Amino acid sequence: MGITRRDFVKQAGLGAVGLGLGVSMFDGLGRTASAFADQIGKYKDHNLVFVSFDAVQAAHVHAFGYPQPITPTIDAVSRQGYKFDKTISVSSWTVPASMTWFTGVYPCEHKLVNKFSVYAPPVEKIAKMRELAPSIVTLAEILKKNGYATGGFTGDAGVSAIFGYGLGFDTYVDNVKFGGLDQSVPKAIDWLKQNKDKKFFMFLHGYDAHGQHVPAGGYDYRFVDKGYDYRYKGTAAEQEALREEGLANGKLDMREADVQFWRAVYDEKINREDAIFKHFLDTVEALGLTGKTLFVLTSDHGTECFEHKRIDHGYTLYNELIHVPLIVKLPGGGSGVVGHQVSSIDVMPTVLELLDVPLADNIKKQLRGRSLIADMQGGGGPEDAYSETDYRLYTFKRSLMAKDGWKYIHTLENNGRELYYLPDDPGEMTNLVAKEPRRAYEMEQRVFGFFKSIGSDLTAHRWETGMNPVYDYQAKTYEAKLREERKL
Amino acid sequence: MNKMSKRRVFLRGTVAAVSLVALAFGSAWAGPAAVAADKAADKPEKRYEHTNVILVTLQCLRPDHMGMNGYARDTTPNLDQISKSSVVFENSISHTNLTPVAMMAALTSEYPRVNGLVTFDVTKDSVSARTIPEILKYYGYKTAAVVTSPEFVMRFDGENGRTINLRDVFSRGYDDYIWPRRHVGRSMRVVPSESLDWIDKNKDKKFFLWIASGSIHPPYAATVPEPDKSMYDPPGYTPFWRKYFPVSGNEGGPNDPTIDILLRIWNNEYYEGFKPVHHLTKEDADYIVARYDAGIHYTDKFIGELRAKLKADGLDKNTIVIFYSIHGKALGERGIFINYDLYEAVLKNLLMIRFPDRQFAGRRIDDQVQGIDILPTLLSYLDIPIAAEEQGKDLMPLVRGDAGATGDEYAYIDRMPWWEHWMSRFFLEFKFQDPLKRNHPPSEDKAIEAYENMLKQEFPMDAYPPGDIAIRSKQWKLIVRTNPRLLEKVSWPGFITGTPVHIPDMELYDLIADPIQAHNVVDEHPKVVAELKAKLMEWNSEVEKRKAPYHKSGEKRYIIPYP
Repeated sequence: MGITRRDFVKQAGLGAVGLGLGVSMFDGLGRTASAFADQIGKYKDHNLVFVSFDAVQAAHVHAFGYPQPITPTIDAVSRQGYKFDKTISVSSWTVPASMTWFTGVYPCEHKLVNKFSVYAPPVEKIAKMRELAPSIVTLAEILKKNGYATGGFTGDAGVSAIFGYGLGFDTYVDNVKFGGLDQSVPKAIDWLKQNKDKKFFMFLHGYDAHGQHVPAGGYDYRFVDKGYDYRYKGTAAEQEALREEGLANGKLDMREADVQFWRAVYDEKINREDAIFKHFLDTVEALGLTGKTLFVLTSDHGTECFEHKRIDHGYTLYNELIHVPLIVKLPGGGSGVVGHQVSSIDVMPTVLELLDVPLADNIKKQLRGRSLIADMQGGGGPEDAYSETDYRLYTFKRSLMAKDGWKYIHTLENNGRELYYLPDDPGEMTNLVAKEPRRAYEMEQRVFGFFKSIGSDLTAHRWETGMNPVYDYQAKTYEAKLREERKL
Repeated sequence: MNKMSKRRVFLRGTVAAVSLVALAFGSAWAGPAAVAADKAADKPEKRYEHTNVILVTLQCLRPDHMGMNGYARDTTPNLDQISKSSVVFENSISHTNLTPVAMMAALTSEYPRVNGLVTFDVTKDSVSARTIPEILKYYGYKTAAVVTSPEFVMRFDGENGRTINLRDVFSRGYDDYIWPRRHVGRSMRVVPSESLDWIDKNKDKKFFLWIASGSIHPPYAATVPEPDKSMYDPPGYTPFWRKYFPVSGNEGGPNDPTIDILLRIWNNEYYEGFKPVHHLTKEDADYIVARYDAGIHYTDKFIGELRAKLKADGLDKNTIVIFYSIHGKALGERGIFINYDLYEAVLKNLLMIRFPDRQFAGRRIDDQVQGIDILPTLLSYLDIPIAAEEQGKDLMPLVRGDAGATGDEYAYIDRMPWWEHWMSRFFLEFKFQDPLKRNHPPSEDKAIEAYENMLKQEFPMDAYPPGDIAIRSKQWKLIVRTNPRLLEKVSWPGFITGTPVHIPDMELYDLIADPIQAHNVVDEHPKVVAELKAKLMEWNSEVEKRKAPYHKSGEKRYIIPYP
C-alpha cells in the first residue's frame, strides 16, 4: 500500500492535536484501515477553505505515492489531516467534475456535461445549471444562507461563474482564463483580510497544472532531463496541438524522451503550485485562522501523461484521470489515512456534516453521496464509484470502479466495452472483456442500472457524437468552417 | 513495493523514473483484492449453472390450427401433449408480418427499427444488438442453431444473381450454425432433424439450441412425403392453377401451393394477365388449407421425436424449451392467402414455454405478450441480469401468477418492410435474372418490368424504407399508414389485379366483433382512435430516438431471399 506502518504512525503523531494517536491496522483483506481513539467533532460556524488544484493526478502527489517529493506543502497538510488514498472523481474534466463537489449530485443530474447546452452555430447556449437543473442547490448557497461570507477565487474557464459556479458567492473571481494560483491567491488573500472576522467559505482554484497554463515567467525546466533536445518547450499551443492530435488519431506518436519532458513540465507546474499554496497557508496562519478553518484539498481530475498514448484529459475515464487527491484537515486537528475507495460525490455531505449545517429536506434528498466521517474514524468501508464523461460530444463514457478492484468502462456511441482488474493491471492496459464475459456483462448492467436509478436512462436514445467546443479556438475554427461551407 | 521506491532519491526525468511512476501510479489498487471474493458456498445455485435452453421456431404456425386450441383436425398431437406440461400464452402478437424482421425483434428484445433489421436487404453489420446466444455465451453456454428457414441463412446478390452465404446477420453468437442444405423436391424447407443429432453429441454440455423449422412455410407441404402430404386433401381434387400458366416458382412442384400462386389470389379471385380468371371455390380454399395443415402435422411428428429424445436423454428435467411461431398466415380470410398485411391470422402466433421438470405445467395465460418478451423472461428464469437495452417485459411474474402481474396492455407493430419493398429488392429481379426461373405469362412481361422499375425508383437503395405502424389491445387494432399515397402507388394487389387500391390513412378494427378485419370503424370510435393513436405515437417517438443507422458502413446490401 502507499504508506508503511512506520510512516503512518509518524504522520499521525505529527498531526494529532488534542486527539489520540491513530493506529494503523491491517484487516487481513488487503485494505489499510485506521482506528482513531476519539470521535471527530462537529465544527459549527468554522470556516471552510476548499482548494481545487485543477488537473492534478493523485499519482503525481508525493503523499499519494509519487516517488519524487514535488508537493511538500500538500504532503504536510496530508499529514496534519485525513488523506483519502483512493478517491474517484465523477468525471475526468473540470466543468462536470467540479460542480459535483458543490451539489452532491452526478454530472448527468446537475447537467453541466458540456460547455454549451445547445451548440448549433449561429445558435449557441451556454450550459447554465440553474436553467438546466433548477431544483439543484449549491454548497455556497447553503452556507450563505447559514450566515457565511462566501468568496470564490478561480482560474475561470471550466469553473467560470456563468455555468453556475458563481451561485451563492458574494464574490466570485473568474477574470483570467486558465489562471493559476499566482492569480487567484493574491485576490483570495485580500478578501480573507477583509472577512477574517466573519465565518467564511472560500473556494480557491488554480489551473497551474493544466495543459493550457504556463507558469508566470516561463519554465525553468527544473525536472527536465539534462540531455533533452527540447523538441517541445511545454507551451500551451504545443499542448493544444498534441491534445487535438491525440483525439483525432486516437493516439499520439511520441518519443520516450518527449513523454519524459511533458511529465517533467507537469511536475514543475505542480511543484510551483505547491509553493504558491504554501504562501497562502502561511497567510492563513499569520491571520490566526488555521485553528478556525476546515480545509479540503482536492483536484477535479487528473492529467494524462501518455499512459494511454494521449495527453490532456476529458476523453477517457482511466484512473490517471479520475483518481484524484483528497485531503480533509480539521480545525481541531486529527489525522489518518482512509485506504479504501470513496468518491468525489461524498465530498459535499462530508463537509456539511463536519460544519454541522442543518439540512433542509430537499438538500438531504439531493445529496447522492455519504458523509465520510465514519471512514475518517476508522470505520466506513469502500464503495463503488461511478464516473461519466460526454467530453465535447466526442465521446460518451460511463464507468464503474468497483470496490473489489474491477473496473468497467462503457463507451455509449459505439458500445465499446472495457474491463480491467486493477490489482493485477493498475495501468488499465489489458481489456478482459473477452476473458471474463460474464463479469463484464454484469458490471455493464450495474452501470446502466445505476445511471437509470439516478434518472439517466442510457438506453433512451442513440448517442450521436458531435461538436461542443470547450476551447475558444475550436469554436472559432468550427464556426469559420461553417461560414465557409455556407459561402460555397 | 513502495517501501523501496520511497527510499529512492529524487530522480530527474529518466527512464528509471518512468517505471517508478508507472508503478506508483497504480499502487493504490495494485496488490491483493480489496474485498474477499464471494464464497461460492454461501450463494444459492443459479439456474444458468445447469439449465439448457432450446428455442424451437415453427415459422408460420397459426395457433388456431392446433388441436390443443380446439382445431377440428388432429394436426398437433405432440405439441398438444407438450402443452399440458407447459405454459401457453394465448395472445402472443407478432412484431410484424414478415419473418426475418419479426424474428430479430424476438432474438434481441428490441423493436425492429431499434435493432436495425427492417428490410430483407442487409449489410453484415445491420444488426449490432445483442442476441440470445451472445448473452448465454457469457454464461458458458455452448450455442448452436439448426436452421431450415432460408430467411435465417442465405443472402442473395441481386446484381450477379448469385446466392452467397455470409453467415452473419442471424448467425452471430453461435458456436455451430447448421444449415442442412437438404432438398426434398425443389424445396429446402425440411424438418430440421439434424438438430436431434446435435443434441446427441452435446447432451453432456450446457447448451443453447435454436431449432428453426421452415417446414410449415409455403410452398405448403412441399417437403412432406406421401401419404402425409395429401392426408387432408379434398378427395380427387386437382389444383385449379394447373389450368393456367405455370407460375409455381422455383421452390415447389406443380401441385404445391407456392408463394407465386398465393400472391395472385385477391378477394378469392385468381389473377392472370391482371384479370380475374378463376373464382376460388370452397374446395380450392380447402385444398390450400389442407396442405398447410399437412405441413403442420408432419412438423409435429418431428416435435414428437424431439420430445422423445429429450426424455430419453434425461434432458426434460433441466431444459427449458420455448416454442415460438414468429407469425401466422392468412388462409382465405377476406379472400387472401399471404401475410401481406397486419391481419389477426398473421399476427397471432404460438408462444409456449416448457419449463424444466414440468414447472408451471398447464398454465394458460390470456394476457397479450410479444416476441420481445421472450429474452428478458428467459434471462429472468435463468437468474441472469436482464440487459438494459432490452425493450421487452420479464413475463416470469405472470408465469408464476404473482399478484398484479400483467403482460403487454398494448402490442406494438412495425409493418416493415412493406411487401413491395422486398419484392423490389429480390423477387421481381430474380425472375428476370434467370430465364429458367421466369414464371409469369409472357403477356405480363412489359408490365412487370415497368412495375419493377417503378418500385426501384420509389425505394432507393440507401433510403430508409417506409413502413406502417400499429397498436393492438385485446379489443382494438389501430393501423396508421405513414405514406398511404405511396402505398397505393406501389401496391402489389393494385398491380396484379389491375385495379387501383384505396388505402385509408388509418384503420381501426374491433377484434372481438370483427376478427377478420373486414370493417374499418375508424370514424365510429373517435375516442378510441385518439387514445390508441396517442399511445402509438409515444411509442413511435421512443423508437425513433433509438433508431439504428440504416446505411452505416456504406457496404453493399445483400438480400435475404424470399421465398
